[in-house]
Amino acid sequence: MKPPAFEYVAAGSVDEAVSLLVQHDGEAKVIAGGQSLVPMLNFRLLSPAVLVDLNRIPGLDGVSEHEGGLRIGALTRHRTLETSEIVKARFPVLNAAMQFVAHLAIRNRGTIGGSLCHADPAAELPTIAVLLDAEIEAAGPKGERVIAAQDFFESALSTTLEEDEIVTGVRLPALPAQTGWAFEEFARRSGDFGIAGVGVTIALDGNAVAEARVALLGVGQTPIRARAAEKILHGKQHDAELIAAAAQAAASAAEPEDDLHGSADYRRHLVGVLTRRALAAAWDRAAEAAA
Amino acid sequence: MNGTLRISLTVNGVRHEKDVEPRLLLADFLRETLGLTGTHVGCEHGVCGACTVLLNGDSVRSCLTFAVQLDGAEIETVESLGTVEDLSPLQQAYREHGALQCGFCTPGMLMTSVDLLKKYPLASDEEIREGLSGNLCRCTGYAHIVDAVRAVAKARVKTGDGGKP
Amino acid sequence: MNEARPKIIGARVQRVEDPRFLAGVGRFTDDLKRAGMLHVAFRRSDEAHARIVDIDVSAAQAMPGVVAVVTAKDIAGAVRPARAESRMQNYHATTNQPLAVEKVRYVGEAVVAVVAESRYLAEDAAEQIVIAFEPLAELTDPEVAAAEGAPLLHDEAGTNIIALREFERGEVDEAFKSAALTVGGRFRFRRKSPCAIENRSYLAEYDQGKRSLTLHATTQVPGIIRDALSEALDIPGHRVRVVAPDVGGGFGGKASLYAEDLIVCLLARKLGRPVKWTSDRLEDLMTTTQGFDEIVEAELAVDDEGKFLALRADILGDIGAYSIYPWTCTVEPVQVVSFLPGPYRLPCYRGRVRAVATAKTPLGPYRGVGRPISTFVMERLVDMAARRLEIDPAELRVRNLVVADEFPYKAGSGLVWDRSGFQECLAAAREKIGYEALRQEQENARAAGRWFGIGIASYAELTGIGSRIAAAPGMALNTGTETSTVRIDSTGSVTATFGIASHGQGMETSLAQVIAEELGVRVEDVEVVHGDSDGQAHGTGTYASRSAVLAGGAATLSARTVRENVIEIASHLLEAAPADIDVAGGTISVVGTDRRLSFRELARAFYSEVGRLPHELRETIALEATKTYDPFFGTTSSATHIVALEIDPETYGVVLRRYVVSEDCGRIINPLIVDGQVHGGVAQGIGAALFEEVVHDEAGQVLTASFVDYLVPTAAEIPSMELVHVETARPNNIGGFRGMGEGGTIGAPAAIANAVTDALAPLGIEIDELPITPERLFRLIERARKKQ
Repeated sequence: MKPPAFEYVAAGSVDEAVSLLVQHDGEAKVIAGGQSLVPMLNFRLLSPAVLVDLNRIPGLDGVSEHEGGLRIGALTRHRTLETSEIVKARFPVLNAAMQFVAHLAIRNRGTIGGSLCHADPAAELPTIAVLLDAEIEAAGPKGERVIAAQDFFESALSTTLEEDEIVTGVRLPALPAQTGWAFEEFARRSGDFGIAGVGVTIALDGNAVAEARVALLGVGQTPIRARAAEKILHGKQHDAELIAAAAQAAASAAEPEDDLHGSADYRRHLVGVLTRRALAAAWDRAAEAAA
Repeated sequence: MNGTLRISLTVNGVRHEKDVEPRLLLADFLRETLGLTGTHVGCEHGVCGACTVLLNGDSVRSCLTFAVQLDGAEIETVESLGTVEDLSPLQQAYREHGALQCGFCTPGMLMTSVDLLKKYPLASDEEIREGLSGNLCRCTGYAHIVDAVRAVAKARVKTGDGGKP
Repeated sequence: MNEARPKIIGARVQRVEDPRFLAGVGRFTDDLKRAGMLHVAFRRSDEAHARIVDIDVSAAQAMPGVVAVVTAKDIAGAVRPARAESRMQNYHATTNQPLAVEKVRYVGEAVVAVVAESRYLAEDAAEQIVIAFEPLAELTDPEVAAAEGAPLLHDEAGTNIIALREFERGEVDEAFKSAALTVGGRFRFRRKSPCAIENRSYLAEYDQGKRSLTLHATTQVPGIIRDALSEALDIPGHRVRVVAPDVGGGFGGKASLYAEDLIVCLLARKLGRPVKWTSDRLEDLMTTTQGFDEIVEAELAVDDEGKFLALRADILGDIGAYSIYPWTCTVEPVQVVSFLPGPYRLPCYRGRVRAVATAKTPLGPYRGVGRPISTFVMERLVDMAARRLEIDPAELRVRNLVVADEFPYKAGSGLVWDRSGFQECLAAAREKIGYEALRQEQENARAAGRWFGIGIASYAELTGIGSRIAAAPGMALNTGTETSTVRIDSTGSVTATFGIASHGQGMETSLAQVIAEELGVRVEDVEVVHGDSDGQAHGTGTYASRSAVLAGGAATLSARTVRENVIEIASHLLEAAPADIDVAGGTISVVGTDRRLSFRELARAFYSEVGRLPHELRETIALEATKTYDPFFGTTSSATHIVALEIDPETYGVVLRRYVVSEDCGRIINPLIVDGQVHGGVAQGIGAALFEEVVHDEAGQVLTASFVDYLVPTAAEIPSMELVHVETARPNNIGGFRGMGEGGTIGAPAAIANAVTDALAPLGIEIDELPITPERLFRLIERARKKQ
């Protein structure tokens, strides 16, 4: 399982990286953390002619304030997100999700940009991006643009990023004050990709739901926002039956497939269970935050 | 055929300058180019952890890193921890607790232990097991490895230093 | 001997192997480099069953760094293919070609070997090979392959059922007719891969001048490989040497002769350069022999007080594409049928086993070899009977486990249990886990809506087996003896040489402990040499939980002889009667005086200071002895596992809460090592029960081709375990040792299956298939709920 031969260039800037992608016209791939890319190279599932290394580009990592929310540089390592105090304070659901990401050695190298571009629907960061309505910054030959997370993930392992674009950062818009949150995931072993998972935020206005978000992991070609579930909760007060109904709606919104580790039916079942648990926990947290 | 690129990096405190093919994995660079065979290859897809080394102080999978990326880097492998005549406290703890059998996963397990001890309080067995869950062992059933790491974590708390494990 | 002296056997000695492994200076096969060494990559079949129409290697041959591209045609006549012969009736050996000839029979079978300056370059070239296949009939389902008229995998066999064996004792059908209760089921244990963390690796060197071959190999069985290579390559054994350097685990997967063993040797001889091949994990998951693939239909007849009356079983073993060398394809299936009656009093038994060939990876020995399956089935039947009769499952076992005065007890399959603590282990396990309190805890948990289960598994096995019992019947393979040479050299250093091949078991330490105690030196004074076919005239290796008993026994005999000789020589040098001489801690002394000698002084006197001893002495006595030990029968080992677990009633995730192993392992040489073996075996048993499965699709493609899909348990999935070592009467072998390397995988799947069934008892679900995955639980629970 040795990788096929390729040429290597360490880009010194975003512009340089983009020019290299343009120059090689689809034959080049970028490498950030490499934790998803290199296994594919070692299995010879990919044979790029050129590998463009982003790791030397200054300023491509880092967590900073941005319009009340946060901006995270594409090269920010998972380990940085895991331990970031400001991430924990502003987006505790992201902090919670990081606990499920693989293992320390993977987190030391893997990056948010890499995870989003790899677009595995069973990975945590794409789901969190969809949950938080993230905006993904991309740079290409035509300039810079911002892509809404909803529009970024196209299908499993595929995004709407152009072949000659790279992701430079991720913007997480501020959540309303008093937002409760929860992240639940079921996997076969510690650190494995989830068979199913759910991320939830609930913002209250008084006792009623001002805004609810439910994002599903591992049960579709992309992360799924369970909009129908969110609608059920909107404007309502805490009620166990309501939560159950929303969980049911989330299960219906899932589009899972059968694979070695779980059937579509089982995954759908898990979505119902995990959503119910997540909604209950998130609502409690929201109520606490309000108190 | 593909050309090579020159890299200059420090491995276990020793500076090396080598010409490497871009696709040469760090694991193979260490084992073949430098002859440091303590780092082992078990899966080449980042799951088993046998190839774990420290890169600028952080544990990483050397099977998922290309040597060519590491110009200017500092690598520490299992060979940096101790010698047959002079094992480190962590290595001694492994020995005392019977934390190895065939020894093949051991270098990766040790390097992961070093990073875990540095980064996490490891106050409970659950936390230790979670931390070690990225390194597969087929021989020990993990029990004695947990014992060894627990002992080192406790001792470190006693001496109050984050000293070299 | 001075009883007051601290014992070395039984001491928690730190392993002598450890420093080199900890310091990263072990020498595993892939660590070895030789000048001019070449590397091999294989082009393997991606068809499960197909005729090879054409192989085009022209592009590969032209690739950079390529030295040779070799197919079966190129090596025809240079190698005798392996055939695992056996005198067993109803057995058909298969011809195991190193490179596929005419057809391929499993995905992963090697078709072409590419030799190049590096593995990277060899893989580049292998990718360029074009093979045209004509697909043949799908032969993936064992029951389809076993059916009358099924297409044949091996034409020469004339059938896909390449082995068949039956045992019968007593009036079985009569007993069933008259029984108060019969319980039964169809049990399915699914395939596993041993997955040692070190992948297989072989390095062959051929000395053109001496025409001798040296193979360094990740093997558990260097002696077997040496003998096989001598036969296959037509080289006399004194010019073939097989060395197992440090080996990173085996578990049975490194205990057979592989195509790659032969191929690297052929290539080294042909090309005149050292040749190395190291498997990657993808190859490992497709080609290393697999285990535990059995379908068992079984029934147990019981009287109304729960006494077992009769057992009958029909077993189908899916043994994959070839009968492996040397064990034959029967090694696992026959052990299922032989061990099925378990440690119980069971007057009537009929078992039939068929081994069916399918287009999959060949089956071979994997830790436990058949006993994990037989224990799973029998222990499930016992629990099913207990539930129907409303007798506590522990109590039902007490009523039926063989008791002390029944030993030796002949089981229905003909094997004989000698004295072992069947009842004592169960009692000790119950006490350790606090069985009554645990049942109370279960009641409370159930009342609170939690799914809490308790599972018991009691089993017995034969370890340290001597020549009377064959590991696989009818083979011309002696697994029943071990030979040890203990030598004191002219510097006074002690070396002990064996045919075993330690690969994680710590034999360099435990055997040193035995010799140190018997000879009178310190552990650190003994150098244990193993893993080398040159070490003894005949040797096999380390497998089947044999090394402590057999090598320990041989070590005891040879050390005792050397000790006698040391004393005799010392009696001359120290001018004292042999009875007054003591040897301890490396010093030879006259009791009650300060007259003493070191081993160095004794050796110098004996070998070099010619005047100091009568010259005839050197002709009649030596500071060296070689002894062979054959325990003749085997030693019964036994244990009870009890597990308490909980199932999340919504996600169906299983969490192991407590795990107790109570085992009768005889005289322990090193408790640190023994405990480690139990932990490791249980962890693999947990993997077998809950996580691991080799999955083939209908076309025979391996779907679990990486560690992402083949799930080896991590530290987070394995609970801490509580071990109880029960002391019963010492087994009747030299040393009083028992083998105990495999017990963990034997007991754990059964205990877990029983515990899950227990947890799901309110739903009436019976677990009859392993591994128990959340998906399988989901299906079972859905179906059970629909019924209710």
